[in-house]
Amino acid sequence: MVTPSGCSGDDPVRSLTLRGSGASEADAAGLLGRSPAMIPGKYRSVSGRAASNVNCGLHLVIQTSSLPEKNKVEFKLNKETPSFPGRLLQHDLERNYSSRQGDGRVISPSPRNKSSCISSTTNGTEPCGLEMKTTTSSLPAFGDSSIQTPSKSRIRQGCHSAGPNVSGDHINLVSSSMPSFPILQRSSEEKILYSDRLTLERQKLTVCPVIDGEEHLRLLNFQHNFITRIQNISNLQRLIFLDLYDNQIEEISGLSTLRSLRVLLLGKNRIKKISNLENLKNLDVLDLHGNQITKIENVSHLCDLRVLNLARNLLSHVDNLNGLDSLTELNLRHNQITFVRDVDNLPCLQRLFLSFNNISTFESVCCLADSTSLSDITFDGNPIAQESWYKHTVLQNMMQLRQLDMKRVTEEERRMASVVAKKEEEKKRESQKQSLLKEKKRLTINNVARRWDLQQHRISNIAADQDGRDSDSPSQDPCQNAGSTVSAFQEETGSLDSGLTSALQGLSVTDTHLVEVDGDTLSLYGSGALECLDRNWSVQTAGMVTTVSFTFIEFDEIVQVLPKLKLKFPNSLHLKFKETNLVMLQQFNALAQLRRVDQLTVDPQGNPVVNFILWKYYVLFRLSHFSMQKINGTEVTQNDMIMAERLFGILAHVASSELPPYRLISVLGDARKKQFQCLLETKGRKPGIVSEENDNSKRLAGENTNRAALHYTTRDLYHEKLEEIKEKKKFCKMYIEDLVKEATEINMKNEALQKLWPQMFIELVRDAVIEVRNKNSYMKLCLQHITDQK
Amino acid sequence: MLSPERLALPDYEYLAQRHVLTYMEDAVCQLLENKEDISQYGIARFFTEYFNSVCQGTHILFREFSFIQATPHNRASFLRAFWRCFRTVGKNGDLLTMREYHCLLQLLCPDFPLELTQKAARIVLMDDAMDCLMSFSDFLFAFQIQFYYSEFLESVAAIYQDLLSGKNPNTVIVPTSSSGQHRQRPTLGEASVLEGVEASLFYQCLENLCDRHKYSCPPPALVKEVLSNVQRLTFYGFLVALSKHHGINQALGALPDKGDLMHDPAMDEALERLLVQIPGLVNSVTASPEASCLPSRTPPRVGSPWRPLHHARKLDAESDGSTEETDESET
Repeated sequence: MVTPSGCSGDDPVRSLTLRGSGASEADAAGLLGRSPAMIPGKYRSVSGRAASNVNCGLHLVIQTSSLPEKNKVEFKLNKETPSFPGRLLQHDLERNYSSRQGDGRVISPSPRNKSSCISSTTNGTEPCGLEMKTTTSSLPAFGDSSIQTPSKSRIRQGCHSAGPNVSGDHINLVSSSMPSFPILQRSSEEKILYSDRLTLERQKLTVCPVIDGEEHLRLLNFQHNFITRIQNISNLQRLIFLDLYDNQIEEISGLSTLRSLRVLLLGKNRIKKISNLENLKNLDVLDLHGNQITKIENVSHLCDLRVLNLARNLLSHVDNLNGLDSLTELNLRHNQITFVRDVDNLPCLQRLFLSFNNISTFESVCCLADSTSLSDITFDGNPIAQESWYKHTVLQNMMQLRQLDMKRVTEEERRMASVVAKKEEEKKRESQKQSLLKEKKRLTINNVARRWDLQQHRISNIAADQDGRDSDSPSQDPCQNAGSTVSAFQEETGSLDSGLTSALQGLSVTDTHLVEVDGDTLSLYGSGALECLDRNWSVQTAGMVTTVSFTFIEFDEIVQVLPKLKLKFPNSLHLKFKETNLVMLQQFNALAQLRRVDQLTVDPQGNPVVNFILWKYYVLFRLSHFSMQKINGTEVTQNDMIMAERLFGILAHVASSELPPYRLISVLGDARKKQFQCLLETKGRKPGIVSEENDNSKRLAGENTNRAALHYTTRDLYHEKLEEIKEKKKFCKMYIEDLVKEATEINMKNEALQKLWPQMFIELVRDAVIEVRNKNSYMKLCLQHITDQK
Repeated sequence: MLSPERLALPDYEYLAQRHVLTYMEDAVCQLLENKEDISQYGIARFFTEYFNSVCQGTHILFREFSFIQATPHNRASFLRAFWRCFRTVGKNGDLLTMREYHCLLQLLCPDFPLELTQKAARIVLMDDAMDCLMSFSDFLFAFQIQFYYSEFLESVAAIYQDLLSGKNPNTVIVPTSSSGQHRQRPTLGEASVLEGVEASLFYQCLENLCDRHKYSCPPPALVKEVLSNVQRLTFYGFLVALSKHHGINQALGALPDKGDLMHDPAMDEALERLLVQIPGLVNSVTASPEASCLPSRTPPRVGSPWRPLHHARKLDAESDGSTEETDESET
């Protein structure tokens, strides 16, 4: 509303009520210079009331400076006054605050305006010379003013109930009998006084009257009439301000000549479509609230438009806002808007009112975040405002915001929002990381599985070859097994591949193993993962791990790291094997060297040994010193224990009692050596553990000696051993051969000697006898011999 | 040293033929292997123990396959050890697959070849039912023949093939390592008319073979007995008959008679002692050890290819003490 600081003719500033009810009307009366005496009682009282509860004054004010050029209505809607547009825009909001629930008719309750309103009302002593003639002209548009009919009374009547500004005394409406337009004429003094304005409020007009001789009019007010069509004003080419609030206009029309028009108020009409505004290039304010508009269109040329009010229409969405380069305020309250677009193309938009719409996600209005100018926004009455994340999401995304839902955004709120947003961002990143990790894990496992399959194929092929030519090689499990696992994993592969990003795929190719600690479970995938047992695990982690799961690792490779496992994870109680190529019962022997095993789970997949009905009993038998509780998830019963003993007890007995002592010693020696090693390695620990260890070893040595002979050597080691034995054998063979040959030779010589000896003896005796037979010659010979010696 | 053969052969060959050399070599080998332990209690003691264990037949326990099959004595000892250790499995009434038997064999001899087990299973089972279940005794006796007379059977297979193809096998016998593979059963058309070879002719060839064969072979008289019962027989019919022949089992001397297969009082006693030692065990076991019907074992058999049909048939076969193979051989 105008700040009507004095309405006297020479007052430099003229205030004009543009619209309004209550106080605004009073204002208007004052502004139009009606003296209180001239206003009918009813209106006086109204004005009085207005004066007393001014709280909702009219706001759109046009200040006319009459001093320099009196007849020029000057719009102080200048952009330098920041209060003006704000006030104008607020009028719609106002509606909700005021008890009146008016249709968003205007009115800013700022104190300054209030006082000015009051002053205008009270000072409104200025005589208002407005003369109106109802001219019934036979001409369709600009009826002939000469034809005058005394229809005064009717008009008076109308005047009675209509606005106070038009008094029958001054205005003559001349109507003809023909269905035509009334012609309006004003008295000359009025014309002089208010040459640039004309107010025809509440005149029950059904058509626009022909306004003759008022080409200088700048302001025209048709509020609260029943006008259905905009007509007869195309001659008012200097019109700047046109108020058609609260009429029954169904289409925007007849404005094409009003090129100077800057304020067009068409609120509370029946307009269905924004159209025919092509020539109004200077339009500054366009009020279309309370109509039936379903879509924003034909406004892109309004590059000077600063205020657009589309509240209480039937808009379902917001777009087509390009070209509104000056728009600073956009009112879209009380529509059915579900999404907003193009707002980021409005470089000057500062205030946007979206209250009471149907916006439910921030994504549907996300273009708002891109607007740099927006400082004031409302979302109240939308589903989105009910969300817990609403405030901080909006604040976080629109840092430039100064007001949200009519409340000043404090620094604290902004901080909170950013904190919350940061948290959320972190959470998101974390979960993303998690899912990335998960995906990577899946990929890696998949990759490991593929490698495993390849390896299995290769191994079984080799095994087949070996079987073919060398019956000594222990054969592997058959191809059928490998085949089945492959098919199982290929399925998995297919489903995995679909969800992969190429980057991940690149990553996964290089990963051949995976180590994962999840709670109390240590999962190892791929033989490379066994290296992790060399790592330094924190005491806490190592202490927590009670389950160790092996997947896609050759059991023989696991066997080699079991001593390490025992050291690094002393609490591991549950072992899981899946795809580990367990094919023989004897492989379980290897587990006997662990400290404790409470549970054993051997997945049938990739472990053919589980198909043997005896495997469980063998495990129970061989690992009886662990007193295992569960095997493959099934509780071990006493019957199982007895059964195991019955089945394999004799084997143990035979192994212990019938093995030649030298071998028993060597076998046990191995076990003892191992225990000793263990002791050495664990000596840094508490004495209690060591003594327990001792007990253990005692038990092992005592109760379980009979089982110690049942040990498992991995295939590679065994082959090495066989090679070694072969070497030794070769050597032994040669050695024995030599020995035996020598012995037989000696034997032969001996036999030959034995054969010759009797004959030889006889010959020898005979020779001796012959020699001594001639005593004399023998004596001589002897003597000769003695003398020769001397 | 006093045997007459000793005079016929040079000493070295004699020792080799009697496998003395084998044991001497092995003894030295073992000595080398365990020299640290052995040096503690004396080499004389070691040799005593070694040759004692050879006599008792316990020297083959957990040894490598090449040693186990090196001498007939070792083979017999292994058979006996296998029977003693896993008699309880048979006693429990479990029927096992070839692979499971193989696993048991591997418990005693880690590098026992699958091929031998497969061959033994082939004696019991039909060609197309290699993954069927076998009773312990069926497998054990078939395994005995296959393992103990392994080389002999290969030669027999070669002879059989020659006879089938109409050649006179007496001219030349070349046992080939791959002979185990050729066992084409006659096609159905042939089978209805003539299956296998004529027993008498087959016997002549075998007799000839036994005379010349340097490996152990079943006593010719018993082979004659086996073959005299029938007119014609197939190779596998012959093997089944061999495996079921008491005389051959006795001659081999490793295993008790079929009827006594489950009896081994000494071991049972030892087992009872072991059972008592199981921690926390109630005395119910010792109270009625024989009567305690062991819990029926029906562990989940994942993806087991066992055929119930065969299962039933096998049980029948066991009850009347003969297998299909036998029937076949008698036709």
